Amino acid sequence: MILSRRTLAKGTIATAAAASIPAQVRAADAEPIRIGWLAALTGPLASPSIGFDRGVQWATNEINAKGGVRGRKIELVIRDTQGEPTKAVNATQEVISRHKVHAIWGPTNSGELLATTPIMARAKVPSLVAGVVNSLIDPVKFPNAFRVTPANSQWDEAVRNYAMKVVKAKKVAVFGDATGYGTAARDDSVAGFVKAGVEVVYSGIIDPALPDIMPEVLRMKNAGAEAIIPWTVSSGLAARLMNARAEANWNVPIVGHPVLGTGEIGKLVTKPENWDKVYIIGYKSCSFDATGKLPPRTQAFVDAVQGKMPLQDTSLWWVVSGVDSIRLIAEAVDKTGSSDADKIIAHWNTLKDWPGLYGTYSFSPTEHNGYKTEEIVMQRANSARDGAFALAPGYA
Amino acid sequence: MLAAILAAGIAVGATYALIGITYNLMFSASRVMSFTAGQLGMVGGVLGALFIGRMGIPIIPGFVLALAGCAAIGVVTEFIAVRPVLKALDQHLYVLSTLGLALMIQQFTAIEWSTEPQPFPRLIGVVSGGPFDEKFWLPVVACAITVAGLEYLYRRTLVGRAFLAIAEDNFAARALGLPERNLRVASYALAGVVGGLAGFASGELLLAFFANGAMLNFLGFVPVALGGLGNNRGALIGGLALGIFQQAANFIVGGVFASVAVFTVFILVLLLRPQGLFGAPVARRV
Repeated sequence: MILSRRTLAKGTIATAAAASIPAQVRAADAEPIRIGWLAALTGPLASPSIGFDRGVQWATNEINAKGGVRGRKIELVIRDTQGEPTKAVNATQEVISRHKVHAIWGPTNSGELLATTPIMARAKVPSLVAGVVNSLIDPVKFPNAFRVTPANSQWDEAVRNYAMKVVKAKKVAVFGDATGYGTAARDDSVAGFVKAGVEVVYSGIIDPALPDIMPEVLRMKNAGAEAIIPWTVSSGLAARLMNARAEANWNVPIVGHPVLGTGEIGKLVTKPENWDKVYIIGYKSCSFDATGKLPPRTQAFVDAVQGKMPLQDTSLWWVVSGVDSIRLIAEAVDKTGSSDADKIIAHWNTLKDWPGLYGTYSFSPTEHNGYKTEEIVMQRANSARDGAFALAPGYA
Repeated sequence: MLAAILAAGIAVGATYALIGITYNLMFSASRVMSFTAGQLGMVGGVLGALFIGRMGIPIIPGFVLALAGCAAIGVVTEFIAVRPVLKALDQHLYVLSTLGLALMIQQFTAIEWSTEPQPFPRLIGVVSGGPFDEKFWLPVVACAITVAGLEYLYRRTLVGRAFLAIAEDNFAARALGLPERNLRVASYALAGVVGGLAGFASGELLLAFFANGAMLNFLGFVPVALGGLGNNRGALIGGLALGIFQQAANFIVGGVFASVAVFTVFILVLLLRPQGLFGAPVARRV
């Protein structure tokens, strides 16, 4: 065979190209797994993100201390969104375009997520969603977005089931605060109760700035309500409700949003007993049973972080949800051997009963709401210890 | 049931009236509607909770310190938001300057204090619960003392008459040798004290919450408009009427409809009597 100069040149280029492929693959394999962590770490909505952040940092350090995922360290690209959708949008674009993150966790409130989810979908970046608004999840419009917390419809169902099956209320008073969330949640809740055959004897929207809500509470009482279902994120309004219920000598249960169990309420109720018979949405994974024990997986985590991470000033579910999210991303890279967006998304679409600390997640190509409704329980609002709560009456 | 609604209605009404009087005090000295009035109420509650509840200072020194803090804010308002725009009153620049200062006060409180409502300490603790709880009668007592004190000041003291003189005609008062600028500063300090007293006395009802300022700004303005600008007795009656009507509307129609009812009546009153229920039409020179 006669070797011409042209053939030699072609062969040399082809050999060089072939030799360079493994090098590129090796370079990709060695680069860190970059996770965009968009959190409202300051500002009025910071409390959840501070809790999530403790879990995120813990899981990242734990994985990196063991050598990373297939030798690749996890690198967090953290941006403080301050709870503002405009800042969240800028941060999302920055972590995608400049830092070329492999996956995104956050933002962690629905207002910011409504603004950022379409951006992440356009860039096809795998994202884990921790917002309750139903419309955030749509496997057709947002095939990259997977919800790792319950949707609002699941919360609604849990509250309704408890009011009907445990409280055995035939008549309920449902109200929301005068915010977009409060109004929408009140409407959904009323529709759910009516559909289930429960009489809604009071349905209202209450301004959280009202200094006294006794007139509203008297209207609920006069209407014969057997349970109060508040949909509010205002601790002031929640505490006023409890105080007015006590002053009206009315002892019906209050069943609703987790804000009813925040530490602020304890400072605002005029008597500690005003906080009795208040039940909040919670999770099996973060509930003490009758013997005061958490489920084994969560208990093991709490024991592991004891003395190393404060839990008294936050909600345990925020922390363990942060841990789960980092582990979900890390496991996807480990199982697929790649941090390619398509492979991570394809892997998550096959998850079935993935055992996390916060919940057991399942996804499919047509269902990206991964949290199971049966893992949502009601808890006693005034029973907080290490960020967890005791189960409400009625659970075995 | 009626007692509970009335007690809360009169209490919030007295608070609105005090904020209305705060507006009047600042207006009569400078012809400026200062939108820091509601924020003074908010700060009174926050400082009371800070000094007494959080720092553990005894009630009376804590009360005096809270009012002194509010008086200082009143003086600062005069210096930075009112004095620079007095020469251009007809351009209404004070709307922007006082509103800007009000927003600064609110945001500063949100950052340094809390964005969540905080408890206000029990001050006396004689009757707990029911319509005779101190959270209902304290604002009423504070309002009564303020109105009586201002009547005494204006009618029986030389300083009070000097206040009235500059309110009536500040050019003539200055021509007579009255220290108009110092009296204006004193008037703003007094407004600070009254606004702070409103927030302090109603602290157990409204809680120490940064967002109370905007609410008081708005609802405290209603008695001023109803009672007639500059008329303290009108503000008192307007405030009490507003509080009782608001609570009654909350009970009868409830929720956001109550606000609609309140402002429907407010607009109707102003349509029928633009000068307010107790104000006299202003004579116009021709």
